[in-house]
Amino acid sequence: MADVKVDKTLDVRGEVCPVPDVETKRALKKMESGQVLEVLIDYPLSKERIPANVKKEGHEVLAIEEIGNSEWRILIRKK
Amino acid sequence: MGVFTGLITGILFGIVLQRGRLCFNSAIRDLKLFKDNYLWKAVMLGIAIETLLFPLMAQAGWIHLNPKPFMPVGDIIGGLLFGFGMVLAGGCASGVTYRTGEGLTTAWLAAIFYGLFATASKFGFLKPVVKFLRGPVYKIDSPGGIYAKGKIGPTIATSLHINPWIPAIIFAAILLWYVFGTKTSERGGKGFNWITTGILAALVGGLAYYTSSHFGGRNYPLGITGGWISIFKTFTGGKLSWEGAEVLGIVIGAFLSALATKEFKIRMPRNPMAYVQVIVGGALLGIGAVTASGCNIGNFFSGVPHLAWGSLLASLFFVLGNWIMAYWMYGRR
Repeated sequence: MADVKVDKTLDVRGEVCPVPDVETKRALKKMESGQVLEVLIDYPLSKERIPANVKKEGHEVLAIEEIGNSEWRILIRKK
Repeated sequence: MGVFTGLITGILFGIVLQRGRLCFNSAIRDLKLFKDNYLWKAVMLGIAIETLLFPLMAQAGWIHLNPKPFMPVGDIIGGLLFGFGMVLAGGCASGVTYRTGEGLTTAWLAAIFYGLFATASKFGFLKPVVKFLRGPVYKIDSPGGIYAKGKIGPTIATSLHINPWIPAIIFAAILLWYVFGTKTSERGGKGFNWITTGILAALVGGLAYYTSSHFGGRNYPLGITGGWISIFKTFTGGKLSWEGAEVLGIVIGAFLSALATKEFKIRMPRNPMAYVQVIVGGALLGIGAVTASGCNIGNFFSGVPHLAWGSLLASLFFVLGNWIMAYWMYGRR
């Protein structure tokens, strides 16, 4: 997944629930269709909830990669 | 034996909470904010099972049901304060407790202030304020049978003078129809699915009722607030209670579970203002829980299955308080 061009990065590591989810939603709203959002996250609940909820909104989840101990990188393409 | 069984029960509950990501703050808020019912269904399934399990255990003579008192004012005010608090603290009583074990430093502060303010509300400087906020407290003479002897809180069954099995079966049937008959949100990942979480949480609830009443001198299923109070009292020479050991067990169980699944990490927010927010939230959790005679575990997860009026009313206001604060914090734009 390294070849995907990331248009915006959102680092929500350490944030209180549900800030990662809300910030992701707000960031996607501001982006153009087709652009890719990278979310850096370390909170297990949101790591599972964000992909489920952005898919429901019609966005595409390109990847969920483990980048460290309890740290993940979620790539989302805006619809 | 009390401390030992409390600790074991807590460790099991901590594993279920961590693997199931069972936070009532998320469960309640997600329904409104993200139109997501995943965790809410785990809660509702657990409550449906406990609604049948507790009277069954009582029928078998293993336990005696001990519903919480009815406090029309305290349940509403305490419920609202607790509902506001869980949003600000980034978790309910069980949420901040299990995430303490996952290494979230914001949860540590929320849990500490929750425990401190619950202790102050129960025994300290906030006691007169909380006594005023609680208003009148109603208990009735127990009708006996599957209920504990002496004074108990009124339930749907005691008010209608009917066999407690009738409302229990109707209530459980409605919940089961809802959880299995309606569409559930999708969720991937390493966590337990909602059905596993709901079933296991209810079984731990049954185990808690048995061990706490037989070995802990405390006739009630799972709780959190009294446990944190007990832990804080040990700092000034108090003895750790069954519930205190249970809360300690939750932290240990969640820690071990997070460690085993590589989900443990010391996490800190970049904006330190988050600490201020969770301290205020934690304090509200403590005051709210003591005012309403229980948190989201004591009143919602353990009290609603008794169909106690007090727990039903407090839980309704946990939900309303959560929705109001979640809308104000996150929903407006």
